[in-house]
Amino acid sequence: MTNISRRTFNGLLGAVGAASTFGITGCFGAERVVVVGGGFGGATAAKYLKRYNPSLDVTMIDAEKSHFTCPFSNTVLAGMNTMSFIERKFDALASKHGVKVVHGTVTMIDGAAKKVITADGQSFAYDKCIVSPGIDMKWGALPGYDEAASHIMTHAWKAGPQTVLLHKQLEAMPDGGHVIISSPGNPFRCPPGPYERASLIAHYIKTKKPKSKVIILDSKDDFAKSGLFKEGWEKMYEKHLEWVPAAKGGKVASVDAKAGVVATDFDKFKPSVANIIPPQTAGVVAIKSGLADKSGFCPVDRNTFESTQVKDVYVIGDSCIADAMPKSGYSASSQAKVASAAVVASLKGMPAVPFSAINTCYSLVNPDYGISVAAVYEVKDGKIAGVAGSGGVSPKGANAQFRKKEADFASGWYASISQDTWG
Amino acid sequence: MTKRFLTGGLCLAAALMAAPSARAMDAISVAADSCAGCHGTDGRSLGTMPAFHEKKPAELKQILREYKSGKREATIMDRIVKGYSEAQLDAMVDYYTAKK
Repeated sequence: MTNISRRTFNGLLGAVGAASTFGITGCFGAERVVVVGGGFGGATAAKYLKRYNPSLDVTMIDAEKSHFTCPFSNTVLAGMNTMSFIERKFDALASKHGVKVVHGTVTMIDGAAKKVITADGQSFAYDKCIVSPGIDMKWGALPGYDEAASHIMTHAWKAGPQTVLLHKQLEAMPDGGHVIISSPGNPFRCPPGPYERASLIAHYIKTKKPKSKVIILDSKDDFAKSGLFKEGWEKMYEKHLEWVPAAKGGKVASVDAKAGVVATDFDKFKPSVANIIPPQTAGVVAIKSGLADKSGFCPVDRNTFESTQVKDVYVIGDSCIADAMPKSGYSASSQAKVASAAVVASLKGMPAVPFSAINTCYSLVNPDYGISVAAVYEVKDGKIAGVAGSGGVSPKGANAQFRKKEADFASGWYASISQDTWG
Repeated sequence: MTKRFLTGGLCLAAALMAAPSARAMDAISVAADSCAGCHGTDGRSLGTMPAFHEKKPAELKQILREYKSGKREATIMDRIVKGYSEAQLDAMVDYYTAKK
């Protein structure tokens, strides 16, 4: 500010009274928080930062103009919904909550200079930064599977063009064709996701291409909600879905996308459609910014989500190490509230609000058959753990009415979390 | 200079208008906000999940206690209420049902 403008400004202030009376610090010298990512974690953080302290200057940066959610993207694959159903826009974050939304690709969070740099050369200074970049694929970890291969054999583990491509491939598949889904080892985004995907593709096949089959080649011998999924599969998809665990040779050892081959140590498959969900890491921007450790994910103070490696940077969602909390949209959103409160408290010089978080997650085995897992979390001995006696999966052996209710609640869950995050 | 002066003026105008006030941020409200993922911000669910911003506090408290004791049938809330004490549940109900 030049001397002249400062004088002019002070004159204005004099006309209306002391600055503090009007909370003018909210405009001049407002503390700046930059949020990296506009998914479940980032958008919730941006909204709740403004809720907990409306005078903060909050900027949210995302590489896309809108966010396509992974939750319910499997319904798009199965032809139950279109892409617009899973598209979330950022307008309300700006118009209702006063978040500055920036369209740009973050290339670096410079913890020393306390600024976020985007690919087009812009620089955003921050007092605190919340980073929620989701996951990135660990290209090459599965031999033969790199970014170029993903344009032939999709991962579709980030919703968007990959979802569209896999849906088209399923539609183009002849009746009698086989679909292979390769499911990775832990940890990865959305642990029940591959199995819901297999279920809804099986539902599509059973309805539209009954001679076809979906085969899950698994790097593991067990998976999230496995008892409930298997119960549903036995009832509905005996002819249409097969799960091959690692112990029975299910682990995919390599792929050759151009040749259309998926290989295990024992077999070679040439499916009509291959969906390869590869091993994953924290979003590359988190790794490049020095936030990740050797595991490929980001260690944080479990009470606040502040990085243990870079001060004043908080990492939430799929990129962070959150112990018992699965990498899910709900987890990210719940962590965002804890981190936002911690940021607001820290900027005010107050102690952090105690950690409390939830995860709830629904999966559809068919459009009218829902199953769920839930838990309440606390920090115990420095790690995030489920509160004893809480949580778990919905009961096995429940009747059709119960499953329908859970399917209806899955839709309600989606409507509510969409509103709570972006609305 | 002109731009800065203008920003200053706009800021003053904004400050003179009714600015949104900060929402509660304490152990109970932040814990309660984690329920909003299913029940909507401030409990204003739009879909099939029960909304609770217009429910009576006593009624909601009773429902949560019945989920906890197993008296009331649930698909998911029985697993969630067990993560909280009755005092915590009551306080979260008060947070959601307080006039805002």
